[in-house]
Amino acid sequence: MNIVGLESIVFAVEDIASCATFLTDYGLIPVDVTDKGGRFEALDGTCVVLAEASNQSLPPSVGNGCMMRKTVMGVANEQDLEAIRTELSKDRDVTSLADGSIESIDDMGFVIGFQVTKRKTMSLTGEISNAPGSPLQRPVNQNAVNVNAEQIHPRTLSHIVYFVSDPAKAEAFYVERLGFRCTDRFEGMGPFLQPAGTLDHHTHFFIGAPEFMKGVEHFTFHFAGPTEVMQNGSRFIEKGYQAFWGPGRHIFGSNWFWYFNSPFACHIEMDADMDLHDKTWQARTAPISADNSQAFLLRYRNKWAPGQDSTPKGDYEE
Amino acid sequence: MDNQAKWLCQLSDIEEGQSKGFFLNDDGNDQIFIVKHAGQVYGWKNACPHIDGAPMAWRKDAYMDASKQYIACHAHGALFEPVSGFCIQGPCKGKRLEKVVTEIDQMGNVWLIHSNKNK
Repeated sequence: MNIVGLESIVFAVEDIASCATFLTDYGLIPVDVTDKGGRFEALDGTCVVLAEASNQSLPPSVGNGCMMRKTVMGVANEQDLEAIRTELSKDRDVTSLADGSIESIDDMGFVIGFQVTKRKTMSLTGEISNAPGSPLQRPVNQNAVNVNAEQIHPRTLSHIVYFVSDPAKAEAFYVERLGFRCTDRFEGMGPFLQPAGTLDHHTHFFIGAPEFMKGVEHFTFHFAGPTEVMQNGSRFIEKGYQAFWGPGRHIFGSNWFWYFNSPFACHIEMDADMDLHDKTWQARTAPISADNSQAFLLRYRNKWAPGQDSTPKGDYEE
Repeated sequence: MDNQAKWLCQLSDIEEGQSKGFFLNDDGNDQIFIVKHAGQVYGWKNACPHIDGAPMAWRKDAYMDASKQYIACHAHGALFEPVSGFCIQGPCKGKRLEKVVTEIDQMGNVWLIHSNKNK
């Protein structure tokens, strides 16, 4: 089951216009968007799909105010799609949709879809730092920072994090039925899961929570590197959006993170530089704590020196 | 320093079903916000009881859900009654927001009333 990662996440919302602005300001590219919704794509075409809450063609919400209606995963080819259809058909309905994808439900009650991936192949260098001694350096005279850069766009849909009442049951479904691997685990919280067709540390993470919280904790796209996360996140804040946690760097997965509140009843993250692992990787286990989830945490500061708009003592005044 | 009032806005600055935040911190988050519900103004601390101090808006001043009937925490979707502050859906169900005292004078000015209980 060569699942390569997330292809799209479908949200049904009351206020399409505000959500569209939010996703566009985040850096996603609107494609075929109307007042009834549309696609908001990363550079490789993976996306968030917005639809009206009243859209009867969508799967129902899992409740609890969850606006996410469906998570679609990409597979390498038709054979993989058929393998998933055969596997899931053993004990549940699998529906074929007009777009060639299939739709079913996981053991937690979340609607899941599968399609042959439509990801565009990207050939873009990432962020390169001029580390002394490294054979790989930025080209001479190429600046690392461009404050006048146009809107930064994420590269690809990275991962989704669900609140589930039984993380062990969720893990068993994705591992035993869909070929995922556990790459790391937070005791008392849940597993990071990687499908077979990617080396990314995780595309799914499950957090144990009461049934009345069942839903999504966050979702995120990969950016080119920490500078894009910092610059895009700072601009996001300047536009009035509300940071929740970050910027910082995780330990499991090593990805840079910056979490923001969203109009989707869950967080949205900007992430970059996630670890890659193959089958030889041995999953680690750690108790959940702040120390085990953030290598470091940076803080945003409006004023950093005396000057315009500062008090006479700058930030030093009590 | 009991009962020292701080001016927030004019009542007419905020529409029915809308919210407005005040006193930005260095993270770009309001420290308090007010909502206008059924013509009255209610003030709350911008801190979801789910996670201590979690900011609640998704954008500056955007504290209400799409129906404009409930205050929402846009971290995990908790909904709160705008009058009582009680959480009626979400991870902090049964808990309530921390109230801040506001008053409206005869000129329609909305004031934050500081007291020992509401710093």
